[in-house]
Amino acid sequence: MSGLAIVLMLFGLGLIAWLSGRARAAQLERVTPAAAVRPHSRPQYHGWYVALWTILPALAFLSVWSALSPGLAVQAVLADPAAASLPDNEFVRSAIIGEARQLATGQIAQGFNPQSAALVEPFRTAISRYSTIGVVIALILAFAGAAWSFTRLKRDFRARTRVERVVMLLLLAASLVAILTTFGIVFSLLFESIRFFDRVPVTDFLFGTHWSPVSGNEDPDLFGAIPLFWGTILIGAVIAMIVAIPLGLMTAIYLTQYAPARVRSWLKPTIEVLAGVPTVVYGFFAALTVGPALRSLADALGIAGASSDSALAAGLVMGIMIIPLVSSMADDSIAAVPSAMRDGSLALGATPSETIRKVLIPAALPGVMGGVLLAVSRAVGETMIVVMAAGQSANLTGNPFSSVTTVTVQIVKLMTGDQEFESAKTLAAFALGLVLFIVTLMLNIVALRIVKRFRESYE
Amino acid sequence: MNNAPASPPVGAAASVESRWASPEMRARIRRRYGAERRFKAVGLIAVLMSVGFLAFLLGTMAWSGLSGFSQTRVALPVDFRGSGLSIDASSMTKAEAMAALNQQGLGDLLQLSATSAYGAQGESYFGTAAKESAAAAIYDDPSMLQRQVELALPATSPIDVAAKGEGDAASEAAVARLEAAGKLSSGLDTTFLSSADATDPTVAGIWGALKGSLLTMLVTLALAFPVGVLAAVYLEEYAPKNRLTDIIEVSINNLAAVPSIIFGLLALALFINAFGLCQGSPLVGGLTLALMTMPVIVIAGRNAIKAVPPSIRDAALGVGASRVQVVFHHVLPLALPGILTGTIIGMARALGETAPLLLVGMRAFVGGTPDGLCSSATVLPMQIFLWSDEVDRGFVENTSTAIIVLLIVLLSMNAAAIILRNRFEKRW
Repeated sequence: MSGLAIVLMLFGLGLIAWLSGRARAAQLERVTPAAAVRPHSRPQYHGWYVALWTILPALAFLSVWSALSPGLAVQAVLADPAAASLPDNEFVRSAIIGEARQLATGQIAQGFNPQSAALVEPFRTAISRYSTIGVVIALILAFAGAAWSFTRLKRDFRARTRVERVVMLLLLAASLVAILTTFGIVFSLLFESIRFFDRVPVTDFLFGTHWSPVSGNEDPDLFGAIPLFWGTILIGAVIAMIVAIPLGLMTAIYLTQYAPARVRSWLKPTIEVLAGVPTVVYGFFAALTVGPALRSLADALGIAGASSDSALAAGLVMGIMIIPLVSSMADDSIAAVPSAMRDGSLALGATPSETIRKVLIPAALPGVMGGVLLAVSRAVGETMIVVMAAGQSANLTGNPFSSVTTVTVQIVKLMTGDQEFESAKTLAAFALGLVLFIVTLMLNIVALRIVKRFRESYE
Repeated sequence: MNNAPASPPVGAAASVESRWASPEMRARIRRRYGAERRFKAVGLIAVLMSVGFLAFLLGTMAWSGLSGFSQTRVALPVDFRGSGLSIDASSMTKAEAMAALNQQGLGDLLQLSATSAYGAQGESYFGTAAKESAAAAIYDDPSMLQRQVELALPATSPIDVAAKGEGDAASEAAVARLEAAGKLSSGLDTTFLSSADATDPTVAGIWGALKGSLLTMLVTLALAFPVGVLAAVYLEEYAPKNRLTDIIEVSINNLAAVPSIIFGLLALALFINAFGLCQGSPLVGGLTLALMTMPVIVIAGRNAIKAVPPSIRDAALGVGASRVQVVFHHVLPLALPGILTGTIIGMARALGETAPLLLVGMRAFVGGTPDGLCSSATVLPMQIFLWSDEVDRGFVENTSTAIIVLLIVLLSMNAAAIILRNRFEKRW
């Protein structure tokens, strides 16, 4: 029986339990005359109480069992006479067992190792035996829970309080998912990075200037990430920002200060569309249209070392993508400046542009800076545009027309080739991910702190 | 005014007046107003440039992609008499009939007819797509097996691309010859929306990727929506002010800003390496995207719940509702439009996401539609990425056409979110 079917069956039992619990409570309510004290909980809460007792213990058991039973099945198979001929080598043995498992569950049709075929039958019986045991125990738990909770139903039983306690636990569990995800990210990155730094010293990684990881080669000289950091900064923090800051800021100024309300109500959503276009589309646009165009421009200008996957193409397109982010942050910060400052400046005879340049922008500057930092963090972590439009070769160059590579490009490149676990090449992706995570986290924390302090200063 | 101490003498006022009219003053005012106009113009230019980039982007995609919905067909006279082909249309399904025809040598017959009609290079005009199209035509009208017919069959990719104006010299010449002979026609490419990825661009379609996207989004929605809404309810309505709540809030805000590729690394380490879930499947892709989407839904949900006025809660508590009843019977229904708007926007973002899925093995070539949550699949943006790497010109067109489909889906999702917000969101 598949896992989904078992869970569905449990929920079916839960429905029956809910109906019978509710019916029982309604009956209790009717039997005693209405003149008596009214019951504490409505009948449906009694129903929920019984249903929860039916489903939750069985579900908890099943989740524990699904983690335990593969191990038990393997032990059963190893005890089988057919397993006696398995080689002693731990690694080969587990490979054969894994293959037999896949054969037994029908994930693959043909085994690589002939020995695995002999183990299929024992494996199949073991798996079916343990899954039958699991289903039976789960059903026993479900019925026991239902029966016990059903006997507790009384006229004055406080079913609602108990049900609500479970609801609260559920809410808390849902919130904890966020913490678990954060910890998951930090631990998985840290764990793999530490294994990487065992092979390649941190200093060689952070300060080395030569990057060309090769499979099977763990020479620390090949893992110098400076060219990647430089490429990321050149594309994300320099070129993209040169496009996004002026355009985003002036767009926000025009829309908030000059545009009539009707025009604004049309233009603002239109510009927001730029943020909704998937990055893979930007990447295709950059690689197909912008890159070749810039290359022929560079050739016409006689700039040496021009490449069609240039830093400029990726940076320009990324800047366009960031415009709405900068614009909306600038919009918010300008709107947060007290109108008394603006009115005062206009009343003194300053023109609107003088008011904007001399009063509003300086007053809104911290907020705008926060927005720019958020935009940088977004640009640094952006993947698809650079994967499709920037290059693969790690060059340490200031020429925007030449090809550079970024941290995210290299993560994708390292993780999607012929990857083997345990190699420095694969682990390097996690180390790069850790650096990226720390940098974007820092940028975000600083940005949010700046924006928060700025808001408070005008409240 | 009489007792204003700094009232200027009469003579000074007259001199100010004269200075306003003086040429230097006028020049300065002209300069200032000029600067004002220039500044406003710069603002307008910035807006127009942003909108222009968008228009250019969408225009380029539409221009190169719309032709992907049409296919070039070349007329081919085929004599089925004596070919030995036969099907029983009444008892066979379409797939069976097409397989039977293939086995009986339909392809060879077509190639033979092509060489006899167009000379030695005629073979290169017709490929898999032509064979499938011919088989489908025979299934629809089996009587044609008894006579000679002229079929308009889809051309191979080089001819197709050349007919649309971007092919190599040899194909251009062939197209010119066919054009002159009146053998070329074009029609709606029905296979593009209904077939899966293939190595031949004229056969390749996006249905496989669309179905993969659909399954992935189902997993994402089923996980991210309940968890996100429940977390939002907890944080906004019940969470005590303590350290744990602070940590939860900080991690949700940070997760919303973590680069998407980091989620890919997490999913690779956790779901694939540690849990051993099926690699490259909608299940793992959906789980990964759910982790990314959940913070978006939590933040949108909190804002929507915050917007429900406290008087609603007070009134419900006043008539005896418990704290759980207040939220689930009153606050949540009122906040639902806002929550749904945020959810749709989060789902649209997840639908367009590619980077984390690259790392969990969804970039493999999948030449079929996924039939379950654990079968290997690809998604629409990934299909675009995979096609954009192909050398064949036919795939460039396919890429743009797939982008048009993706953008239409995403824009209609966003439009739905805006309509939902405008129609149902109450301003208190």
